[in-house]
Amino acid sequence: MNGEPLESSVIGMSVRVRVRNAETGSTVDMELEEENTVQEIIEGAAGYWEKDAGAYVLRKGKKLLRGQQTVLESGISNSDDLELIPDPEGG
Amino acid sequence: MNEVIRPGAEDEDRLDRSRRVGWVDVDRLARSQVLVVGAGALGNEVVKNLVLSGFRHLTLVDMDRVVRSNLNRCLFFNDTDAEGRSFKAEVLARGAAALDPDVRIEALICRVEEVDPWVFEQSDLVLGCLDNVAARLHVNAHCCLHGRPLVDGGTLGTSGKVQVVLPPAGPCLQCAMNRTHYRVLEKRHSCTGAETAFFEPKMAAEITTTSVIAAIQVREVLKILSGQRGRCLQHLLHYDGLTNRTLELEVPLDPNCPMHGDRTVA
Repeated sequence: MNGEPLESSVIGMSVRVRVRNAETGSTVDMELEEENTVQEIIEGAAGYWEKDAGAYVLRKGKKLLRGQQTVLESGISNSDDLELIPDPEGG
Repeated sequence: MNEVIRPGAEDEDRLDRSRRVGWVDVDRLARSQVLVVGAGALGNEVVKNLVLSGFRHLTLVDMDRVVRSNLNRCLFFNDTDAEGRSFKAEVLARGAAALDPDVRIEALICRVEEVDPWVFEQSDLVLGCLDNVAARLHVNAHCCLHGRPLVDGGTLGTSGKVQVVLPPAGPCLQCAMNRTHYRVLEKRHSCTGAETAFFEPKMAAEITTTSVIAAIQVREVLKILSGQRGRCLQHLLHYDGLTNRTLELEVPLDPNCPMHGDRTVA
């Protein structure tokens, strides 16, 4: 699914990325400000897909993005493909 | 005087085939003290792999009891254990001892938060076979504090992960966590106020994924204790069982993570 672009909680449209749902393959575009954090992207995408309460991580290529980092700090740029992955915590 | 050999003698050594791998230091494994935290599905598979690999000194920690829904993925548990609500760690210790009578296993029936820090300190290595963020953070902290390698595994349905932490170098489990992890942690401890009562959502779990993840965990242990740290996973391995794809994700060390810096002791 390529739905309407999601806006993060901070108003602004400096970067547009595509987030992929690792569980379903669905995608959504998200508009971000440089000040937005990776955590906000995770929560925005998880909320959009109405995910169960659980732990999630976000990857860009082969790099796991650190939650507290901003878009600017994590090197996220326009047209990047990101992937939302549930963090397996069962044992 | 010449050495005396007998035809077929190698077949009397239970670890002969392991020795033939070459790089596996079987004697070192037999001397090592390993702490396994969690005696559930991953714990069952990990302990089986450890014992068959030649480990002789294990400590198991788990406060939980066997229930029937465990039986789709726990080799050492059976209906009798479930009916009797036996402690998982005790059943697992008995099962492992039956695999090899030379194994010495101590079962600690308690929450990992209640384990004496000395248990971490006297262990050569720790295996995380846990099912919640809080316990992972606790084990991670002890391993970082005492400088003990931690090989953590996790599963969710047909996906799984393995992360190797080699203090003081490199990222730890906490470095890979974000606010969603802490929200889960808060939710699990907010139900009744009682210290050990928490909301536990039922997660999908099955044996094939558990077997894969446990096998990778123990293989990393073999490397660490056989002087092969350079061949270990450097980052977080993510496994997708539906496609059988693995992806090694680079985990950046978090400069704000409390587990790094001058607090680590050798």
